[in-house]
Amino acid sequence: MSAPQVMSRPVTAAVETRGVSKVFPMAAGPVIAVRDVSLRIDAGEYVAVCGPSGCGKSTLLHILGCVEIPTAGTLRLDDQDVSSLDDAGRSAVRLAKIGFVFQRFFLLPMLTAAENVELPQAESGVRRAERRRRTAELLEYVGLSHRAHHRPSQLSGGEAQRVAIARALANRPRLLLADEPTGELDQATGDQVARLLERVQADGTTVVVVTHDPAIASRAPRRLMMRDGRIESDAR
Amino acid sequence: MGILAAVLAAPIPPAEDLPELLISRQLAAAEGLRVGEVVTLTARAPGARSARERRTDGGGRAAGADVAERRFRIAGIYEPAPDPSRLGAARLEARLHLPELLALTADPGDPLGAESVTLVNVALADATAAPAFGRAVAARMPGLLAHATAGPREGVDSFVVLERFHLAIAIVTLVGSTIFLLALMVMLVDERRDTVAILRLIGLRRRRILLQVLFEGLLIAAAGAAFGVLLSIATQGAFNRFFQWRYDTTLVFVRITPRIVQRTVLLAVPFGLGASLLSSWSLVRREILALARR
Amino acid sequence: MRAWAFALRSLLRQPARSGLGILGVTAVGTLLFDMLLLSRGLEVSFRHLLDATGFDVRVMAAELPFAGPRLTRATATAAAIARLPEVAAAVPIAVQRATARTGAGASTPLFLLGAGIGAPRPWVVAEGGDLPAEAGNPPAVMVNRRLAGSLHVRPGDVLMLSGPCGAEPSALPAVPFRIAGVAEFPFEEASQANAGMRLADLRRVCGKDADEADLLLVQSRDGVAASQTVQAIHAAQPELYAFSNAELVAQFEQAGFSYFRQISVVLATVTLFFGFLLITALLTVSVNQRFGEIAAVRALGFSRRRVVADVFCQSAVLVGTGGLLALPAGFALARWLDAILRSLPEIPARLHFFVFQPRALVLHLALMVVTAVLAALYPMRLVARLPIAATLREEVVS
Repeated sequence: MSAPQVMSRPVTAAVETRGVSKVFPMAAGPVIAVRDVSLRIDAGEYVAVCGPSGCGKSTLLHILGCVEIPTAGTLRLDDQDVSSLDDAGRSAVRLAKIGFVFQRFFLLPMLTAAENVELPQAESGVRRAERRRRTAELLEYVGLSHRAHHRPSQLSGGEAQRVAIARALANRPRLLLADEPTGELDQATGDQVARLLERVQADGTTVVVVTHDPAIASRAPRRLMMRDGRIESDAR
Repeated sequence: MGILAAVLAAPIPPAEDLPELLISRQLAAAEGLRVGEVVTLTARAPGARSARERRTDGGGRAAGADVAERRFRIAGIYEPAPDPSRLGAARLEARLHLPELLALTADPGDPLGAESVTLVNVALADATAAPAFGRAVAARMPGLLAHATAGPREGVDSFVVLERFHLAIAIVTLVGSTIFLLALMVMLVDERRDTVAILRLIGLRRRRILLQVLFEGLLIAAAGAAFGVLLSIATQGAFNRFFQWRYDTTLVFVRITPRIVQRTVLLAVPFGLGASLLSSWSLVRREILALARR
Repeated sequence: MRAWAFALRSLLRQPARSGLGILGVTAVGTLLFDMLLLSRGLEVSFRHLLDATGFDVRVMAAELPFAGPRLTRATATAAAIARLPEVAAAVPIAVQRATARTGAGASTPLFLLGAGIGAPRPWVVAEGGDLPAEAGNPPAVMVNRRLAGSLHVRPGDVLMLSGPCGAEPSALPAVPFRIAGVAEFPFEEASQANAGMRLADLRRVCGKDADEADLLLVQSRDGVAASQTVQAIHAAQPELYAFSNAELVAQFEQAGFSYFRQISVVLATVTLFFGFLLITALLTVSVNQRFGEIAAVRALGFSRRRVVADVFCQSAVLVGTGGLLALPAGFALARWLDAILRSLPEIPARLHFFVFQPRALVLHLALMVVTAVLAALYPMRLVARLPIAATLREEVVS
């Protein structure tokens, strides 16, 4: 099966942070979730971010995905400084350049699998015929063409996550961010999802996966270990 | 009986011996009259224009020779008895002794004019004899009709019609409220879906859960009814004041009686319980796994 | 997928809840629509009745008809007013109570309406002919359907009419009349028997010689506004009261039935508040239950404006559907409520309390739109201020 997005680019930074920190003001005193993180992830890389619970890996992922605004530091995405963008600007960047995969899938229950995949494309103004073609291509890519018209409640966990990956790829993002994508799945199904993510990366998309699962992390060529908001190690 | 159509205030020496009358509060306010002032009354048609107008066109001049015009001293100002059938009408009224009224309104060409009255109020020694009295009057004086004031009203009563109208509005409101309550209960029960699933998983029977939901529904309906009653008691004063101001009357428009409270609670609580039962039944009758799976 | 389609799907996801929301709005909208019909219905209906007679000015001796002194020298006054350049016709009108009797012995109390004969007539011929221009022997009379039905009489039959015309008993002999036709009297009550005749014939029945009338009906010439005619009458007859139909409607509103306007305002306000609460509650709970989904679509790139628009569209779909369903329901309820109120005593049969006007529809729709916007404000605020990352974290933890 041909990949829906095969691109060959010079090695440039897909995403780059400089001195990024995130502090959450809490009643009991501020909590520093991410401390002074400087990180460069090249286009086409597959990076796993690991670490114990509460080490700041999900917060870092949210910062990379323009969902969380860093308290300090700068974030560049595709050579564009996105640190100073307003909410609408960040939404536009997410829609065009970033795909998200969540632990709990967050497929919209009232839409079919195909409609869930169509949703980000419709939002970015892709014409209906093109949307339909791209959706069919993506569902075939994740092996779920036969489930196109099923609702999320009629899908298994693995199938739902594969639909979520197809949805994340809908607008041909440069960067795919996955937060514990196998957290709700059994090992076999988790392996299927991990293989799919590897394939996405192999087809040219930069993939960053936050995971607790050592098996998933070990499959990534580059592994970042976080502790207390800092990157403790960066193994390739 | 003729209508007293003009009120004219004029400065008259207080020593003058004039008949007295009472005027309504509304008339006093409308014409700026005070106790002790002298007014002129006439039944002449153009006199229906206000005293103020009359003053400006040389008021006080005698009316046509054929129409009586008399002066009275205002002995007092009274609050007219509230009359719902005259809601919105300006109560520009005066009370005077019957002979003086007849002298003012009688047709000079009619020898019986000074003997004509609109009606005669009769106090019977035995109130239950009113129908017999009415028949006796009709037999002895053809053309006269005697009605018992406490007897059944003739035709359709305005207030019965208004009560029917308000009842119809109340029915529509009740339907709307029940739908609202049902929607709230559906949301409440839906939020409890997981809890119900867990309760069923640990072995609680459907009836036990249904009883719990019904008890909650009873509490909500009772609390809602109590709040509604308290709110209406708290706001009835404002409603009454607004309408009393609007219609310049002392009529009471809203009165929360124990019977109304009783009716409200007796309607609200069963409807609340019904809504609870209806909304929770679909949830309770489902299989446990269907509840747990979203 | 557009916001509207998205909102529709979101609502269809929970059909029971959405259905109840729409039903609730329908109930609220029905009452609101009816209150809007009621708020000006009586006024419009009364105005329509006044206009239907073909006369645009009323002249009286007091500020209200039948509540003050009667007009004296009515024929001469009517003739003087009719000569005014602004006036096309002036007809004196007197109303008295009487009794009608047939040869067969059937009798009924009725109202007699005596009119100066000219054109137009203060009634509309429904069957048979109108009163002839010349007086006849026996004189002619127009009867309404109620009278014709209750005494089983038809045009051509003879009717005996007698007083008393006042409160006092009368020993006057009954006067025979020939029925010229059946007519509709604009202000007749449903259960009221009426007969129309010449003013002179009415005086004959009542045994009164005085040239009195209760009011004069005046018709302005073409192109002359009623207000101009009123001014001309004021100038010519300063002791009389002249009112255009519009002024009478205003008086009527002030004196008699402003209660219905007040009650309609109070009920419409309460109703709207009720609808607002219902939709706000529904949307707020719905949004609360979908925080995770909303945060996820925000993370996927949906703008804040878009997710806020989704909530607004849901409110608009609920209120719009309910508001539209409320129109037929409102018409049906209005018929019922109108029938109840029209059973009030002394209400003309052609007077209605609930009258449709385009203004009521426009106001209904405008108020529904305002309710939809206000009801959506709080849930829209919740969605707009939803922190994406924190919500995603919480959803995972929960």
